[in-house]
Amino acid sequence: MKRLLASREAILFLLLLVVYLGFAATVDGFSDWNNLLRRARYWVPAGLLALPMTFIMATAGIDLSVGSILALSGVVFGMLFNDVHLPIWLAGAVGVLVGGVCGMANGLVISRLGVPPLVTTLATMALFRGIAMGLSKARALADFPSDFLWIGQGSLLKFSGGKDVPFSIVFLLVAFIFAGIILRKTWMGRFTECIGENPIAARFAAIGVSRMYLALYTVCGIMCGIAALFHTALYATAKADTARGLELEVVACVVIGGTRISGGQGSIVGSLLGLFLIGILRHGLLLADVRAQYVIIAVGVLLVITAILNEWMTSRGRAKL
Amino acid sequence: MKTWCVILVAVFSALVILCGCKPNQPDATDKSGAAPDSSTSQGESPRQLTIGVMPKLIGIDFFNATERGAKQAAAELDVRLVYDGPVTNDVQQQVQMIETWISKKYDAIAVAPNDPDAIAPVLQEARAAGIKVIAWDADARKDARDFFVNQCTSESVARTLMDVMASAVGPEAKYLILTGSLTAANQNIWMREMEKYRQEKYPNMVNLSKDPKASEEDKELATQVTADCLKTYPELQGIFAITSVALPGAAEAIRNAQAADRVFLTGLSTPNMMREYVKDGTVKKFVLWNAVDLGYLAVRVAVAAAKDEIKPGATTFDAGRLGAVKVVGDEIILGDPIVFDSNNIDQFDF
Repeated sequence: MKRLLASREAILFLLLLVVYLGFAATVDGFSDWNNLLRRARYWVPAGLLALPMTFIMATAGIDLSVGSILALSGVVFGMLFNDVHLPIWLAGAVGVLVGGVCGMANGLVISRLGVPPLVTTLATMALFRGIAMGLSKARALADFPSDFLWIGQGSLLKFSGGKDVPFSIVFLLVAFIFAGIILRKTWMGRFTECIGENPIAARFAAIGVSRMYLALYTVCGIMCGIAALFHTALYATAKADTARGLELEVVACVVIGGTRISGGQGSIVGSLLGLFLIGILRHGLLLADVRAQYVIIAVGVLLVITAILNEWMTSRGRAKL
Repeated sequence: MKTWCVILVAVFSALVILCGCKPNQPDATDKSGAAPDSSTSQGESPRQLTIGVMPKLIGIDFFNATERGAKQAAAELDVRLVYDGPVTNDVQQQVQMIETWISKKYDAIAVAPNDPDAIAPVLQEARAAGIKVIAWDADARKDARDFFVNQCTSESVARTLMDVMASAVGPEAKYLILTGSLTAANQNIWMREMEKYRQEKYPNMVNLSKDPKASEEDKELATQVTADCLKTYPELQGIFAITSVALPGAAEAIRNAQAADRVFLTGLSTPNMMREYVKDGTVKKFVLWNAVDLGYLAVRVAVAAAKDEIKPGATTFDAGRLGAVKVVGDEIILGDPIVFDSNNIDQFDF
């Protein structure tokens, strides 16, 4: 099993390498590392959400409300800062808290009432977006101090020659390492995959299945709140209709990364590679003057290829076992 | 776990190798990248400018028409034009695409932003990188762009609408206004200007409802609301429907009620959406700016800005086939809107 996982990630990495080298050889300006890092700042909100999404999908669940929670957290944060004039750190903390409460609501409905995650989060996707719209009256909340915008746009390290490392990228990588360790090295990760493989067996193995569900969706909501801060800083605006379709982008990263949608197996490294693969493909094609509608087609083809690859590898792995 | 470590090591070594490769990269790309450059820069002629033009979204009639205008201007001025935008009216996609354009070092970027604030940071980044930034169709925050290409002033939209109504119904017309949502910014400014102009020029005209009727950018709702108004206001002589969706919706109601002879309907919409209603006489005249000319002017201004040929404080701008257009502060104004009727509507395709 371990070898199978490793080889799946290795294949994904090779694919990423091929795409990277292909663009670097053919597209002018692609190999400029600084450009790529600056462009990568825009992947951070999706990347942060891919972490809890990997865990949730490893339990055979899904959270479609992440984009809406992000918008609601951002709007609450923006209104507390702009209208109520709370200090920015306090407004941010409340924003993250609101994300956590939304996630907990998802978790309670799923674990206590037994409503399937797809249905629950499809409903709350509309609900949270609606609350965000109602609260903000569809206003755009701007006027954030530049110190705050720094977390989304600014650089942690500046090197000579205009080379710099964005803070948000470093934050994302640290979060990825943290999540990877939790999934692979701790009981939380093992329980998560166990639930996805067979929830009834997990219950008989004395795993608190419903408590795990509640915890996972709550953490997912908190991550939405954190991602909302980065998202707001990146675009200098909090708005109720922001991050439309983000949930599908996040799910795409996780699926490309090799996490099985039927549960039982997740890969944090895979999700990171999936994020980079989609991001680099978009960046490279746009640099090559490919029009936006064809970029969407290319990303779609990539999804189909990796889905087929995943199925093929799973069935081959099963045959060997 | 060993395989894990191997992958990690492989990732880092690959990154190091790729970074290390960088200085050599230009040699490899020179062959393909420099070829077109050297052909254009033969002799002493200056480098060809590259202009990026981004609509709010691609794939709708209006912004296809602006693309045609942009291409005309680019051909006349011999600049390379990249016309691209998101497939939905999504400002985040716009921001990311502009980020890519900055790294391609375009000479000027002209964008129709979906949100004036969210687009601002990336535009400021572009300006810091020495790229001239133009907003067109909709404005960005003023400190984020060099110039704004405005299709027409709200004042001229309001005047044209009121004049159309007065010439058709007379200076004592009793009218109603059908808007989008009650919070729509553009529409609210236009209605304020219309009322101001009415008091000046047509004091005997009567607005039957001080609060406009809302249609929420929904064509069916506009049809319903208009049908209701026809019943509740028997003295009604004219309707302004001032969004591109509300006007065809209202026209549908007038057609169903066969009320075209007693109620004069006009407003703002695109020729393609209104063609059938103009052909069958439901709507005799309506108003909009010329989308082709708007795209044309945006590229003209972008090129002039990139060449430093336009400075803040100028009062006119030489816009090629459009002649001299008015400049107010840092806004370049396309001119007065067009009045469309059955005679000229077939000349327009947007």
